[in-house]
Amino acid sequence: MNSALRHQLRHLDGAILALLDERARLLVQTSASDPLRASPVGDLLRRHTGPFPADGVTEVFAAIDRHCAEFQIEGTP
Amino acid sequence: MILQLAIGTAEESVRELHESLEREGLRVLRSRERSRPILAVAGKIPKTLKESLARRTEVETVVQPMGELLLVARAMRERPSIVDVGSVRVGGGTVVVIAGPCSVEGRDHVLAVARQVRAAGAHILRGGAFKPRTSPYQFQGFGVEGLRQLKDAGEATGLPVVSEIMDAADLPAFVEHDIDCLQVGARNMQNFSLLKAIARAGRPVLLKRGLAATVEEWLYAAEYLAEGGCERIMLCERGIRTYEKATRNTLDLTVLPLMREWTHLPLLVDPAHAAGIARIIPPLSRAAIAAGADGVAVEVHETPAEARSDGPQALLPAELVTLVAESRVMAAVTGRALHAPPR
Repeated sequence: MNSALRHQLRHLDGAILALLDERARLLVQTSASDPLRASPVGDLLRRHTGPFPADGVTEVFAAIDRHCAEFQIEGTP
Repeated sequence: MILQLAIGTAEESVRELHESLEREGLRVLRSRERSRPILAVAGKIPKTLKESLARRTEVETVVQPMGELLLVARAMRERPSIVDVGSVRVGGGTVVVIAGPCSVEGRDHVLAVARQVRAAGAHILRGGAFKPRTSPYQFQGFGVEGLRQLKDAGEATGLPVVSEIMDAADLPAFVEHDIDCLQVGARNMQNFSLLKAIARAGRPVLLKRGLAATVEEWLYAAEYLAEGGCERIMLCERGIRTYEKATRNTLDLTVLPLMREWTHLPLLVDPAHAAGIARIIPPLSRAAIAAGADGVAVEVHETPAEARSDGPQALLPAELVTLVAESRVMAAVTGRALHAPPR
């Protein structure tokens, strides 16, 4: 892999992580029982046209939802 | 000339240096930077004095800022400054969205817009009570009553408010109604008597760029505020007049990265007044954040066609929701974050 490609991948990795952090910051403003918290994977897949496999999309968002479950407004169930 | 002294320099040494420069007939200003002492020296400094200052052990760096800029110059702070507007911190790695009606059009209206601004996730409520209109026959704003309505809407929704001041005589009304941030509009950027008056008000000031002002002139206007005692200044690019007629003005994003080198002040962008066309405000907002803006200021109205001023550039409430969401993405991918909702 050439260094420019590696640099681009690292930059994208950083952006993906930054976006996940932003998602987590938003979830802090919601209660744990809010149904809007879950990722609309079905909607995303219907619009998805890129090379990332559909199974992978489902898996990644399931993991995001699982890890985001701990973010909630302090004091709410 | 700016003298950045070594971290840990004894206060006595700073004072001695300060006094020795004043004995040379020079005016010396001290930065509010806490991590190290920084002194700014105004006026023409003899070459021999410059050389002897550079040799002093406590002087770590001698910086010659652009022109005669001192207090707003980048070298006066270790890091870019952060301006508190109510509970919202502008600058310092977060991105804010300022939104609201161009003009305060009535108590119910501004409250409804404030609720939409809050629900969209924006941070500061804007609204004009004193309107600088091109024609004297256009709506001039509700004046003091407009300030009252804006502040009430801000308090009801937990949003700090910003409104334009056009005349120093109105300053007591802005203070009495506890307007969180005073906006100096493009037309008044070089109204130096207004700048001097509001510099002493102890409130944050949002200084828009004049529509025919160079960056240097804009920064000198900010220097007037700083020299007058204003400690919380934000700059706002809002488009400059060029030969291009496709848009109301030309949004000058070119200067943002350079401004970062020249000043420590937070930089905002108002794409609405630059564009004058609502549908191109979202891409301009994204571009502003990508270019490093600490935030964007936009206008929102439920029925832009009926707005009493600047309807063509007002976003619909749903468009504001999208703009805030896009600002969040742009902030994240540029290594920052959208500011948390005001407390």
